[in-house]
Amino acid sequence: MSPTNSNDVNVDVEIDRLVHEPARLKILAYLSVVESADFVYLIRRTGLTMGNLSAHMSKLQDAGYIDVEKDFKDNRPRTMLSLTQDGRQAFNQYRANMFDLLRE
Amino acid sequence: MSAQLNMNEIRRQVYRSYTEDGLIDLAIGLMIFGFGALLSVDVPGLIGVLGIFPLLIWYLGKRLITLPRMGSFQPGKRMKNQLTGFAVSMVALGLGFLALFFVISGSGENIISDHPLALFGLTLGVGISALGLITRTNRLYVYAFLVFMAMAIGENLDKSILSMDVYLLSVMIVGGLILLSGIVVLFNFLKNNPVLTMEE
Repeated sequence: MSPTNSNDVNVDVEIDRLVHEPARLKILAYLSVVESADFVYLIRRTGLTMGNLSAHMSKLQDAGYIDVEKDFKDNRPRTMLSLTQDGRQAFNQYRANMFDLLRE
Repeated sequence: MSAQLNMNEIRRQVYRSYTEDGLIDLAIGLMIFGFGALLSVDVPGLIGVLGIFPLLIWYLGKRLITLPRMGSFQPGKRMKNQLTGFAVSMVALGLGFLALFFVISGSGENIISDHPLALFGLTLGVGISALGLITRTNRLYVYAFLVFMAMAIGENLDKSILSMDVYLLSVMIVGGLILLSGIVVLFNFLKNNPVLTMEE
């Protein structure tokens, strides 16, 4: 009997690598529950550092998955993040794909 | 950062954002304690004003303590609907209590006119439980139970301690316990969430 060749495994589910990264997945998961959240709220919830969140935020924004708006509230700068339609679709598609992939 | 991802847990955390600072506990505790205290010094006319004070603490606390530490979010559509439903239900519950109290208490001797505080405790208990349900905060169920028990049982004990009616004393003790619990929750919140200095 020949050993199983991993190349024989047919994975026909496409995984969005931008969403697949754990930190970005967590950001998208939180944003999928709310309409929008500010930078501080996401730091607290995801446990990411400011630098990390900033880097992931830029990647998601470049992909068109999130909207980032900067404004002032009570004389303090505020960065609000929200999921775009594409972002919500990508997140939901990722969840469906992972479910299909891992289903027995 | 944990790589674990559970949508139910994430949803629960977002809902609990409303109560994790302990300000709602302080507001409820102050309201219950103040209710008992004002009745015990026989100034029930101030009870209406009493509602404003906890709300003010809650509002100022959110702005000055919670927002700089925890940030803010706009609830999603589903959450907004639930919160609106909760607010409408609470107004209906309050009006229902008042209507029931005035209509039935004016119609002679009956169980409600004999136990107005128990009915009030039940109304408050239902309201606090509903808040616990919507914000996924289990300690609010305990508060609801304590408030109801203090008012319902205390009302039926026709005794006084240190020239104070037992039911007022029990209401004040429960209010004090909720306040104390709120202070502990707030203290932990402050300890775990220092103000972030933003240098974006």
